[in-house]
Amino acid sequence: MSPAPRRHPNRAAVRSAPTAVSTPDSTDPPAGSDQTRRRLQLLELIAHRQWVPLAGYGFYVALLTAGYYYNLTFVQLGLIDLGTTRLGMTGRSVSLVMAVLALVALAVSVATGVVMDRRGWSGDLRVKLRLLTVVTAVQLTLTVIAPLLATAVGLVGWVVVCAATIGVGMPVTFSFMADLIPVRDRGFAAAVPAGLAFFVAALYPQQWRVEEFSVVMAAAMTPAVVVLALLAFRPSRLVDRLATQQARFGPGRFTRPPAPTVSTPAFALIVAAMFAVFFIDSLGFLRIIDTPAYITTSWQSPEIGVRVFIAVAHIVGAAIAGVLYTTFDWRWLLVWVYGLFGFTHLLYTFHLRTAADAVPPLVLPGMYVLAVAFYTTLNFALWPDLSTRDTIGTRCAVGVGVAGWLASFSSTSLALYSDAAGVSLLTHLRYVDALALLLVAAVPLLLYAARVRTVARQEPT
Amino acid sequence: MNLELIPMLLLSLLLLASDGADTAVARLVLSGHHRLDDTQEAVIVGDATVTIPTDTTVTAPIYVIGGTTRITGTVDARVTQIAGTLLIDGDAVIDGLRIIGGDRRVAPTADIRHRSSVDLATPTRNPVRSVVALAVATAALALVGARLVRTRRRNLDNVAGAIARHPLVTATVGLLLLLTALSLFVFMAFTLVLIPVSVLGLLAGLAVTALGIISWGHRLGQHLPVRQPHAATTAGVATVVVLLQLAGAVPVVGDLIVGFVLLSGLGAVTITYLGFTEFHPAPLPD
Repeated sequence: MSPAPRRHPNRAAVRSAPTAVSTPDSTDPPAGSDQTRRRLQLLELIAHRQWVPLAGYGFYVALLTAGYYYNLTFVQLGLIDLGTTRLGMTGRSVSLVMAVLALVALAVSVATGVVMDRRGWSGDLRVKLRLLTVVTAVQLTLTVIAPLLATAVGLVGWVVVCAATIGVGMPVTFSFMADLIPVRDRGFAAAVPAGLAFFVAALYPQQWRVEEFSVVMAAAMTPAVVVLALLAFRPSRLVDRLATQQARFGPGRFTRPPAPTVSTPAFALIVAAMFAVFFIDSLGFLRIIDTPAYITTSWQSPEIGVRVFIAVAHIVGAAIAGVLYTTFDWRWLLVWVYGLFGFTHLLYTFHLRTAADAVPPLVLPGMYVLAVAFYTTLNFALWPDLSTRDTIGTRCAVGVGVAGWLASFSSTSLALYSDAAGVSLLTHLRYVDALALLLVAAVPLLLYAARVRTVARQEPT
Repeated sequence: MNLELIPMLLLSLLLLASDGADTAVARLVLSGHHRLDDTQEAVIVGDATVTIPTDTTVTAPIYVIGGTTRITGTVDARVTQIAGTLLIDGDAVIDGLRIIGGDRRVAPTADIRHRSSVDLATPTRNPVRSVVALAVATAALALVGARLVRTRRRNLDNVAGAIARHPLVTATVGLLLLLTALSLFVFMAFTLVLIPVSVLGLLAGLAVTALGIISWGHRLGQHLPVRQPHAATTAGVATVVVLLQLAGAVPVVGDLIVGFVLLSGLGAVTITYLGFTEFHPAPLPD
């Protein structure tokens, strides 16, 4: 447990802090008026030289960027390489292993989230840092030994331990937003790691092989473990000060009126909507990257210019998503994501049908990247914004666990299965198209139906 | 993809359909260097360099809308040049050559069996003509602006207000719209059936962008020493157009400024529903 601060450690910051939590009866300026304060609080923190919150900001961005890079490269792509190329497993077997990873990660994540909320760890920055240190240390060990695995049984054991660390890491990592990022900045703070992680992944390493991933990750994680251990286990005024921020930053954007609880249909609908996004993405992407004509002209192109284009597109897409998340209702962002995925898969299908022999235009990966940047940003910001300090563990665990990991890896295993079953890329993408288009149509209809319900309830009897 | 290729692409697809070619297997070459050794599908050459080498016979029609196409072999079909550069060497044999635009160099000894041309030659660059064209476009925008001030002032106020208060949001929405709408319209054009929708979409995009420029002018006009509102907007629109021209002459920074102005106008018109409502961003806790 973190020691109680002897005096208010950030008094000066609180005195001059521009972000007092507004109470329900506060008189906010009308939305959209010139008085509405929409400027990034990061800029105000810099202007006021508030180094402690700025350090927290930097820590969050670095943590999310590194964590996401690790998961989307080493775990998602490296594991496939390890199973199929090095261990000679069939696509079907690897898909089963991926399913195990998803299920174990989800179970551990939900259990961790519930324990965090019940024991008050969600609101205790130091406990979360300690959990994160242990998770990172175990993952470092797993990273180093991964290329040494020689049997399928060893891989399954490795996957179970890896899934457990991911499960613990998910609610811990995502809940840091409540400690470190002001509500006003969450769209931007989510966009930066979403853009950066993909930016780096698009440029390095070029070959998606587990050996390359392992070297890169181990080199980056070793100093990270040391820094985390120092912050978590040694007395630190910085950590003490950061721990007090949650009182101001903690309540999410969608918690007034209170957000739906985890057990309600409304929350289940949000989770299902996000699940569908991740599912569509991985289902299409993993077959596309399996097709040499597409992957060697985009994500693994020998031309650095192409990879830089994709990397920059990630940044641009994340920046757009950050602005839109902050400005519009998140549901509209969701509609955009479905629309973009539906359109992108249609583009791929169209190319396959009409010009399969021709070099695919860059607009195909470009549109894909835009959609991915959108939903990643949304995923980073949405769950903390639906939570308070007392609920953030469970909500992040369920949200990220089901909508992120379970969706990604179940669709990954399904994509591998369809490949192994001999389903052609065109047929596979046709199913993905159908799913995306169904959701494009369904989400506005559901939003409209919800509006009808609200209006009907307001009508005097 | 070069945006200037889009109208050429639409035209080439229309020609392709009217020529009776199988559009389902048409091939679009947008970048890089390519050799057409043996192709049976229609080829549309964009910003690429395409060569049909000696001792090679291509039996599919070729549409040149950009880049460079060099023919030294045999094309047993029609070659249509809409834009770009076409180089026909002395040993080339071509069944038909249709010229609509672009630059070309045809060797006198080349064997071209049928030749036709539509006189849409690009006029020589004339500074006076360019200035007159710009002045006409500016006058048209200014007149529409003056008219809108009289009839739909609130719409202009709403769009201009969104640009002024939310420049980042409007430019971001504009950028997203540009990226997705352009891809969508090009995609529609490939279906041929939807070419009219694609053309309408592009025209609508131009109209919305024009309304954005007028709104910028309306906003700027309020700061000019002109008392009459419609005259202020007219002067503002003219000033914006001139400033955009000047900015466009500056490399990189100028292009960014022009892009920002156009995109924020596009975004502002969209998020204010053509100016019929004020834009209210989602409320954020303070």
